[in-house]
Amino acid sequence: MENNNEDNKAILSDIKVLDLSQGVPGPFAAKFLAGLGAEVVKVEAPGTGDYSRQSRPFLGNRYDAEGSALFSYLNTSKKSVTLSLDSPSQADSLKRLAEKSDILIESYTPGYLESLGLGYKALSEINPELIYVSVTPFGQSGPYRDYKGADIVAQAIGGLMYTVGIPEREPLKVGGEAGLYTIGVSAFSATMLALHIRDEQGFGQHVDISAMDVMAVAQIHSSINHQFGHKPVRRPTNLVQAKDGWVSPGLDTGVQAATWPKVCELMGVPEMVDDPKFTTPEARRANSQELLSVISAWVGTKPKEEVYHTLQALRTITGYVATVEDLLVSRQMVDREFFQTIEDPLLGPLAYPGAPFRMEGETWNLSRPPRLGEHNEEILVGRLGYSEEDLFQLANPVGNRDGE
Amino acid sequence: MTKPALEGLRILDLTQVAAGPYATMLLGLMGAEVIKVESLTRMDINRGRATVAPGDTRVYPGGVPGEHPWNRTAHHVHRNINKQDVTLDLADPKGKELFLKLVAACDVLIENYRASVMDRLGLGYEAVSEVNPRLIYVKISSQGATGPEQNYGSLGSTLEQTAGLASITGYENGPPLMTNETYPDPVVGFLSFGGLMAALRRRRKTGKGCLLDLSQRESTAMLLGEAVLDFSGNGTVAGTIGNRHRDMVPHGVYQCVGDDMWTAISVSSEDEWLGLCQAIGQPDLAFDPRFEERNTRRDNQDDLDEIITAWTMERDHYQVMHLLQAHGVPAGAVLNGSETIMDPHLAARGFWDLVDHSEAGVYKQTTTPWVLSKSPRLAATPAPGLGEHNYQVLGGLLGLSASEIDDLVEQRITGEIPSAEA
Repeated sequence: MENNNEDNKAILSDIKVLDLSQGVPGPFAAKFLAGLGAEVVKVEAPGTGDYSRQSRPFLGNRYDAEGSALFSYLNTSKKSVTLSLDSPSQADSLKRLAEKSDILIESYTPGYLESLGLGYKALSEINPELIYVSVTPFGQSGPYRDYKGADIVAQAIGGLMYTVGIPEREPLKVGGEAGLYTIGVSAFSATMLALHIRDEQGFGQHVDISAMDVMAVAQIHSSINHQFGHKPVRRPTNLVQAKDGWVSPGLDTGVQAATWPKVCELMGVPEMVDDPKFTTPEARRANSQELLSVISAWVGTKPKEEVYHTLQALRTITGYVATVEDLLVSRQMVDREFFQTIEDPLLGPLAYPGAPFRMEGETWNLSRPPRLGEHNEEILVGRLGYSEEDLFQLANPVGNRDGE
Repeated sequence: MTKPALEGLRILDLTQVAAGPYATMLLGLMGAEVIKVESLTRMDINRGRATVAPGDTRVYPGGVPGEHPWNRTAHHVHRNINKQDVTLDLADPKGKELFLKLVAACDVLIENYRASVMDRLGLGYEAVSEVNPRLIYVKISSQGATGPEQNYGSLGSTLEQTAGLASITGYENGPPLMTNETYPDPVVGFLSFGGLMAALRRRRKTGKGCLLDLSQRESTAMLLGEAVLDFSGNGTVAGTIGNRHRDMVPHGVYQCVGDDMWTAISVSSEDEWLGLCQAIGQPDLAFDPRFEERNTRRDNQDDLDEIITAWTMERDHYQVMHLLQAHGVPAGAVLNGSETIMDPHLAARGFWDLVDHSEAGVYKQTTTPWVLSKSPRLAATPAPGLGEHNYQVLGGLLGLSASEIDDLVEQRITGEIPSAEA
């Protein structure tokens, strides 16, 4: 269906974003805004840039300040300019950019930008419609406001981590940077909410994202169960080993009554069809260990994806543990073209996860991440009237930075 | 101050379990009018069963299912706040007709059934958009609205597997593990909120509604971005590294005084490392050749963990956190469910709302993962009983008379008491 409105542009094509944030959550939120068509200008410290540029793994397996996989993923479709915000004249440049921007995202320690004259109050005076998003470990208020954070710290203090892992071991972090990404998703949605409010009601505001808050919402069982008298605990895994990896057959509670005989037939155990130990979900749960040994014997001889497809065809809720390698060849992911290849003159062709959701007629912007200061000429010279001499000074900073 | 952020936005909510209800919970907290639709034979799975069988593992306040167990389950009480509740039999022609009238009166329809359920009911996007072309239909599904696996079923825990998250979650070199927290559910709940805001902006520009297709598997796979690039560029398949980190060291949880008490510590910079040595009273560690620089610390992290544990073992987990943070070291106590509701920081931020639920009692409710300076969230209101707002919605919004609704109750098209087998 074609869009016959002449304003057939990306959802955020009229939106300008300044991304002052570093690490994972803020940049992830800004990446989503860029995906929806906003112009996102990343403001980085001259010389070093966003600290995620130093984060491993590096593409090509060797250190290169332009080759961090994490930085690359988080900063697609953005422009990069370099400014030393602790220099008053360059802070003034940022102000001029903020005057013409719709959204500013930052992740500095609360109060730091304020001390440079770049806090919400100062910027909202020159641009009342500005949406100013602060993404920090503990938020802009409260006794831990100045405390430092990390993915594992957020997952711990927010109550998520306590129940992850197995009973005989310590609490376990959800892998990768999963907590930080989630905080970024929350920042994205809150920013879109603030933009919706601005569209409807005409004003900007300060959006406060606290990693601890986000994780405390992300723990969806612990706080409520505990209050209702059921202490949350770490639980044993229900994964079963297949020939080449792991599956969760989903045969304990997720099986419809009519499906059970088919499952028994499939596993070659017709005698179990009428065995009262297994005929109801409750019974299967009560006798899960015995059931597990039967299932394990069957699953162990088969490739994980075969088990997944075979049991899903019987309408059971089966999973298989996909590695990143499996994801890229998953027929479902391939059919939906979820992963997109970006040709990068420096890094070569690389597969990236694509759009987080889809709407008819809307495309998701996905282009390579910027090199540090790549757009200084375009933005600083073109929009702010910097001279070539100013640019040279920027590229060769003197003194040091602080405030991170 | 100002009016509630989403005042005037009306949501028809067919979601169940976690991801969808989480999204609509947040919409309700921000001022949208959320009308949750269930039926007497098919309730939100969060409500549990109408008749509780022995061995049922659902959580009821104090372990007691009570007279109306479906109104008391922890998951329902927690996830369905700030919503109205209507029951309609969508398989019945009259129920369907009323449903389509609700469609006409709403801005948004949101559901997370198995992908084909709404089409089978004759209520898929084509059908409802005909009734209301401005409708935004948020379709949250496990695999997305297209593709060979579109009808596959899932739970949060299986999505963690099929999206790859389990492959990088687990103890060092151990098997993959799931989170026990169905982690994709809150993530997708947060994400679909932002997706809906984008669709609303699109509607403002074009005048048209649309189908928003959100695959939970895809959005969970987004949490593995750098690992995808690492494989694509370097051929490396990420595995389990426990609580350790590629760059940071020390990095993990450290046992403290008490039963199952821990504090997470994460050191990234040289300043933080020196702060740690100071905080634990061992400034000389900084000169120990094993720990001189990040690379040597990584090579000797077992030794380092032992030294830190000797210190944390003598202290309370909060005390460890505060002492380390006073020295500029990122640290956080590993809080369990009952500790989070007592934490002074969350309390000071007004994070928890005290809710008095008529059937489940008084408890503390999680709220929003954001704070907006000029558009405060609403106070949490108790999760509705099944069909609690039948008369209000069918009468107030659709204009049915009380006796017409009584007839519908008589025919079991609507009502408040589920079928015994539901």
